[in-house]
Amino acid sequence: MSSSPRAAEAPVAEEDTPSSLDESAVESISRGAPSWLSERRRHAWSVFEDTPLPSTRSEEWRYTDVSRVVDFADLRLAPDGMPAENGSRPAGLTAAMEEDLAASGHAVLVDGNVVHVDLDPALEEQGVILTSLRTAVNEHVGLLEELLATEVLPPEEGKFQALNAALWSDGVLLYVPPNVKLDLPVRATRWLSHAGSAVFARTLIVAEPGSQVSYVEELLSEDFDKRTLVSSAVEVVARDGAQIQYVSVQRLGRGVFCQSAQRTLAHRDSKLDTLNVNLGASVTRLDLNAQLLGAGAHSEMLGLYFGDQDQHFDHNTSQDHVAPDTGSDLLYKGALDDRAQAAFRGIIRVHPDAQRTDAYQTNRNLLLSDECRANSLPNLEIQADDVKCSHGATVGQLDSEALFYLLSRGLSREQAERLVVLGFLGDVMARLPLGGVVEKVTRAIERKLEHV
Amino acid sequence: MSDTSILTITGLRAKVADEDLDILMGVDLEIRPGQIHTIMGPNGSGKSTLAKVLAGHPDYEVTGGDVVFNGQSILDLEPNERALAGMFLAFQYPTEIPGVSIANFLRTALQARLEDGEEVDLFDFQEELLDRMKLLDMDPAFAERPVNDGFSGGEKKRNEILQMAVLRPTLALMDETDSGLDIDALQIVANGVNTLREENPDMTVLLITHYQRMLNYIKPDAVHVMVGGRIVRSGGPEVAIALEEQGYADWKEQDKDEGQEEEQQQQVVTA
Repeated sequence: MSSSPRAAEAPVAEEDTPSSLDESAVESISRGAPSWLSERRRHAWSVFEDTPLPSTRSEEWRYTDVSRVVDFADLRLAPDGMPAENGSRPAGLTAAMEEDLAASGHAVLVDGNVVHVDLDPALEEQGVILTSLRTAVNEHVGLLEELLATEVLPPEEGKFQALNAALWSDGVLLYVPPNVKLDLPVRATRWLSHAGSAVFARTLIVAEPGSQVSYVEELLSEDFDKRTLVSSAVEVVARDGAQIQYVSVQRLGRGVFCQSAQRTLAHRDSKLDTLNVNLGASVTRLDLNAQLLGAGAHSEMLGLYFGDQDQHFDHNTSQDHVAPDTGSDLLYKGALDDRAQAAFRGIIRVHPDAQRTDAYQTNRNLLLSDECRANSLPNLEIQADDVKCSHGATVGQLDSEALFYLLSRGLSREQAERLVVLGFLGDVMARLPLGGVVEKVTRAIERKLEHV
Repeated sequence: MSDTSILTITGLRAKVADEDLDILMGVDLEIRPGQIHTIMGPNGSGKSTLAKVLAGHPDYEVTGGDVVFNGQSILDLEPNERALAGMFLAFQYPTEIPGVSIANFLRTALQARLEDGEEVDLFDFQEELLDRMKLLDMDPAFAERPVNDGFSGGEKKRNEILQMAVLRPTLALMDETDSGLDIDALQIVANGVNTLREENPDMTVLLITHYQRMLNYIKPDAVHVMVGGRIVRSGGPEVAIALEEQGYADWKEQDKDEGQEEEQQQQVVTA
């Protein structure tokens, strides 16, 4: 799987001279690719060049000064080196993979490139596709031409979306044919190994009518002393009556700017749920847009974050109700300690035809220190008259009375915080019960609390 | 054993931490192991503050005196260290901890009592918890509910008693555990305390209450009356009976210098 045609043609020299983020990188990465893709990359690059860097003066980037987070001139594309199948894999990567044994299939990405894929042969026989995008470019042209970086997440969405569409190196395609149901999740593990590099990866998930699938990806790295960019574009399409659960668990190291743009398209009677767990990286920016395109479509949008030290999280979500009789329910909860900061900006948009929309949006924050900060901007834009919508935001403190109560039972301050934080965040995980995910996230939070 | 005291309070003075507001004006009290002592007093007399100061509540600052528990001065100990030393405060207003089950909470509290590297055995804990709930005639499903979240007043107090049963303190401080309870709930709570005392006659109880009615169910060895931050009278159960008949009015006379509190006490007496 790892030796896709494109990879084979990649010049070995790339490993030694990592390229800057510029037009020649676009040309180099397009070498040997079909013309529709090269055209698409060039177009995306021109959009990137024409789009100014977002500033804090714009409403959508009010809480994150991206000019202080990323310097495109400093970054180099991650080298195209591919570790051997079972060779010298970093311990952090293998540890995460060992937790994921119960799965319909696995994909492992190192520095944005797929190095391993496996899929239950019975599912392969039923037409399920799990493959690297590099392979898919040649083998599944129709799907990619239709969906990749066009209909779902076009470069015009923003500066980072354009950059990703121009420079993506690889990613995962998951395709589930009509009426095929996967009992176990597909798991992807994404490891980043180079400080100061920029990694651009994409995920495309398509579930045909009546099918069912869940996809859990985990992003990991060591801590870096140089600013490093991990850019993800996630496109998820649920056709009529399909059911998709998409989960992202982000445990990247410090020094990383994790930028993720996700869009989900939910067609008639489909159920398309997402869970974004953000625990790592220095700065995290998530743009998530859920489109409810067909009557009866429903999306549950869950988010969970826990920040310490100087971590910064910026969640920008939108729920677009385009068709009537659609529902969405967003719950983002986060705990913050030390000087960590979190911003949440969410909007429910009910389009004129979307009568009988049921849409909810809640953001709750728990502050564990006096120096951490949470900003919350929930919003509604309703153009239909028969709807049920609500939004709410809270910022609460671990109050001294609750802490005293726990201490008076003999718990140490650390044990008390662990209990309160896991209790506070637990209901988010309970709403999307996926094999192993709750345990994985709980362990990650516990590890973090031990450092508090 | 009963010759040595389990708790000795001498000249204890305390104020509200962020304000110049003195509340305890020199409290003296001595309790022997296995005894039940009651502190009664009007609102604002400082009896609840005494319980919180003993447990180490950060809202109060000790400005004088000493508290010796089990032979050790505890005023420099953190609240959790006092708990590990065998003290337990049953709260007047127990705090809600959303998302944390009673079982999980208690397991963590027992874990805190173990050495580093030791783990509470899950099966032993389940067995112990069921055993304690059976002793208190409680439904096992209760332990799966989140701590005090959406509990009625009576359920919150029963939860305090359950925690006491599992943590097995040597000294239980009960801060107005009877307030806000109807007579049925009061009886359940009192039965719980009595059951734990029958099981372990060495458990010492300091019962803080506004009303005499709790003493119909729990029989104290000594009754103290607290007014204006001091214990103004100590005696046997007869003191409580006298209070019930006469109210706190008589004690105000001995407390003229606490003029600012008089009005408040008057209201309580007539209520």
